[in-house]
Amino acid sequence: MSTKSKTLDSASKIKLNDSVWKKAFSSNAEWPDKEEFLDVIYWMRQAIGIVLGLCWGLLPLKGFLGLLLFVVVNAAVIYFYVSSIQNVDEEEFGGMWEITKEGFMTSFAGFLVTWIIMYTGLHGTSSL
Amino acid sequence: MWGDSLLIVFISICTALLGEGLTWILVYRTEKYQKLKVEVERQSKKLERRKEAHGDSLDKQHKKKIEREEERLKNNNRDLSLDKMKSMFAIGFAFTALLSMFNSIFDGRVVAKLPFHPISWIQGLSHRNLPGDDYTDCSFIFLYILCTMSIRQNIQKLLGFAPSRAASKQGGALFAAPPGQFK
Repeated sequence: MSTKSKTLDSASKIKLNDSVWKKAFSSNAEWPDKEEFLDVIYWMRQAIGIVLGLCWGLLPLKGFLGLLLFVVVNAAVIYFYVSSIQNVDEEEFGGMWEITKEGFMTSFAGFLVTWIIMYTGLHGTSSL
Repeated sequence: MWGDSLLIVFISICTALLGEGLTWILVYRTEKYQKLKVEVERQSKKLERRKEAHGDSLDKQHKKKIEREEERLKNNNRDLSLDKMKSMFAIGFAFTALLSMFNSIFDGRVVAKLPFHPISWIQGLSHRNLPGDDYTDCSFIFLYILCTMSIRQNIQKLLGFAPSRAASKQGGALFAAPPGQFK
């Protein structure tokens, strides 16, 4: 009996995850659970951080410009996603600042790590 | 140099997993902690809803109720932090020893090349124990801290050990920052 309920539990979890993925990639989705939407923003930020780190390392972008561009692109993508694709009322989530802040530091650290490692591997021997 | 940086990423993944595993054994799986966590989350959400509903009302009765709930939540939050603290100290000591071991292994070694010139108050960390004046050389400790900042928090979130946003918001400074982030 307990194993059956456990299997049902995990099945419903998988279904829930599926629907979150679907909602994240469709426009104007309904987000009754605030946490769910903020989680999507959080993980999106992490992915953006890593992708930008890889790109900046490959190019390679150097100096303050790289850091500034990361902040601008990161904030712009999230702003565009929230206001144009999902069309959510930002006040529901405590204002645009709360959404802009969500997972920023972690994403910044992830970006720095991938940027530094890519840069070291590909261009590490030449100096700035 | 690349090998060293990848090794540091690997080390920080391992230490983050080990840290979370130990905390799970010592704290997260205990009944007391689980009960307190559920209680804090329930109270935080309730308080948030109540505050939203009666946000600007000057009704004394509501204010008193909210204050009483806030007090209860604070107490529960304090218990939760105390419950975590003891094992965090033990894990903290173990990790400090581990960190000093890695520090001596990578002592004086340039593990990565920074694509930017770090600002002066970070140079002490990014150029720690490194010879020369090239501040784009990166020391072990700087890369390790960066790795830990991103990896540990993501692992906590993936495993569901990170405190919920409602609890962090209501709980204030005691519960806001994930503990041992820089270990």
